[in-house]
Amino acid sequence: MNRRRFLGVSAASALAGLVGSTRGASANVAIDLEALAQPALLSIIGPKTVHTIGLRYRARVPAESDVRALHAAILTARPWPASVAGLVEQDFAIGRTIVLQGWVVSVTEARQCALFSLLSD
Amino acid sequence: MHIDARTLPNGSVLEADLCIVGAGAAGISMALEWIGSRHKVLLLEGGGLDYETAMQDLYRGESVGLPYYPLQAARLHYFGGTTGHWAGFCSTLDPIDFEKREWVPHSGWPIRREQLDPFYARAQPLLELGPYEYGADDWQRRDPTLVPLPLDPRVMWTKIWQFSPPTRFGARYRAAVIAAPNVHLYTHANVCELVANESLQSIEGLRVRTLDGKEHRARARYYVLACCSIQNARLLLASNRRTPAGLGNAYDLVGRFFMEHIEIPTGNLALAPSHAAHTKMYALEFGRTKARGELALSAAVQREQRILNATVSLEPGGPDEVAQSTFQWGTPDRLAAMRERDAHGDAGPPAEPPPARAPLFFHLMTRQEQAPNPASRVLLSPERDALDMPRAKLDWRLTALDRRSFRAFYEVMGRELGRRGAGRVRLLDWVTRDEDPWPSTLSGGWHHMGTTRMHENPRLGVVDANCRVHGLGNLYVAGASVYPTGGAANPTLTLVAVSLRLSDHLKRTLA
Repeated sequence: MNRRRFLGVSAASALAGLVGSTRGASANVAIDLEALAQPALLSIIGPKTVHTIGLRYRARVPAESDVRALHAAILTARPWPASVAGLVEQDFAIGRTIVLQGWVVSVTEARQCALFSLLSD
Repeated sequence: MHIDARTLPNGSVLEADLCIVGAGAAGISMALEWIGSRHKVLLLEGGGLDYETAMQDLYRGESVGLPYYPLQAARLHYFGGTTGHWAGFCSTLDPIDFEKREWVPHSGWPIRREQLDPFYARAQPLLELGPYEYGADDWQRRDPTLVPLPLDPRVMWTKIWQFSPPTRFGARYRAAVIAAPNVHLYTHANVCELVANESLQSIEGLRVRTLDGKEHRARARYYVLACCSIQNARLLLASNRRTPAGLGNAYDLVGRFFMEHIEIPTGNLALAPSHAAHTKMYALEFGRTKARGELALSAAVQREQRILNATVSLEPGGPDEVAQSTFQWGTPDRLAAMRERDAHGDAGPPAEPPPARAPLFFHLMTRQEQAPNPASRVLLSPERDALDMPRAKLDWRLTALDRRSFRAFYEVMGRELGRRGAGRVRLLDWVTRDEDPWPSTLSGGWHHMGTTRMHENPRLGVVDANCRVHGLGNLYVAGASVYPTGGAANPTLTLVAVSLRLSDHLKRTLA
């Protein structure tokens, strides 16, 4: 899925009521969706590794190997903090982490990596 | 005074109040304490004043356990001992290292960390270290550019290491020892047997041999073995004329519990660019850095995770580089070249200048304590050396706890650094596969510990809390062989501290 198609899906997802399924998570889901595919991890380990982690996550959790599922999985997190960065921090604080390609990452950012990899597949 | 034992008439008898066997960091630290006292001290060194191949060959031995470094290259057999090629890394053991931890079988020292503190403070100047301060805040106060990573102290902390120049005990203290009228240094004086009395309650004397075929006797009121962990065990086991199991070995403990620090590349750290200012605290420039930090888990997390103690250094590198272990890097040839350069006052190639920009990618090198393990041991080999002593046979073994502790440490560290936004941690493949054999990078730090462990109960330890061999009234052991556990800190600072403590005890005893 290329980036243009991904964004199309994002908008369609929002219009199709995906927001409804994540009510209470964020008021700006459609905007967040684009941002979600750009994990802060990019500035730390770079796009190549982020992409690889994303592929590993999708292989490990096949049920989340599409944009909608990933989007929903991220935004249904409870409690919902003020930002995605807060959600990542919360993951680390409560041990909601996963080891992918050797990297200890938060489950939220693993899903972000998966979104990132979907963009460039 | 100094006498080469080869120049003595055969059958000479050397007598003193105190006889110290071995002139490495432990033996010399003790001998220095006795300079100017009214007691006569014998300091017996098997090697000469400088490196000699024939002397070094006496340390050759077998290795039958996990792959280990050549024994004759791991220790130096001349005045100054292995400080002739050590790197000078010093830190204290942590309070938890002295505790009995129910998840670490055979753990627990009969002394507490605070009992050792005054001796650590006295050991600092002997090793030409800075003040006895091991808090990250102490060093940040001295240099505000040393900023530790923002860690929750309930989870992780920055453990400080200080760096000795490194002090070469042979060169640094040779003149002082030789000038001391009451300290009689004999070189080329290899102790091959401790001779006990008939009731096996005390030592009557030592058999001392030279490579040119002479044999002398040494007699003293008190004896201290300070030959290093493998040689201390070897000498006790080989002193089996009156008791087949060797001296101090009524409960089959001598030589057991051999421990190393497991030093191995374990992972990587990608530091967040926002934390680049923290790198100086963890950087090391050999010969210049006085102190640096390494990452460690809190005692509370060790308890919760039921794991061993460890400390992790940050070594700048590239993501595609493969880090080498201590043994891979420090080949015998490389160590020999360094020793040669050192002996000729050559500083070697200039150090690489620090990078223009702070590094953000690091290899994580772990130094983890080894769980005390009775099956990890030093035995006698059937082969004999040039002095007709049985050679040492090392059977180095590790346990599942050793292996599991690595993964737990790195997962906790990954979560904590991630939570703090400081960076992300990567585990190398071997860390995630507990069931696999150890990787080829498995390495020790040339730190031999534990073969004459300390315990108040003679059924559980070879020496008591004062380092006296159980059952033998006048025989003591100095050095890392008395450690019941090794902690995560290199052994030298602690072994000097323990030796100074033993020296004080002997002064009281002789008084």
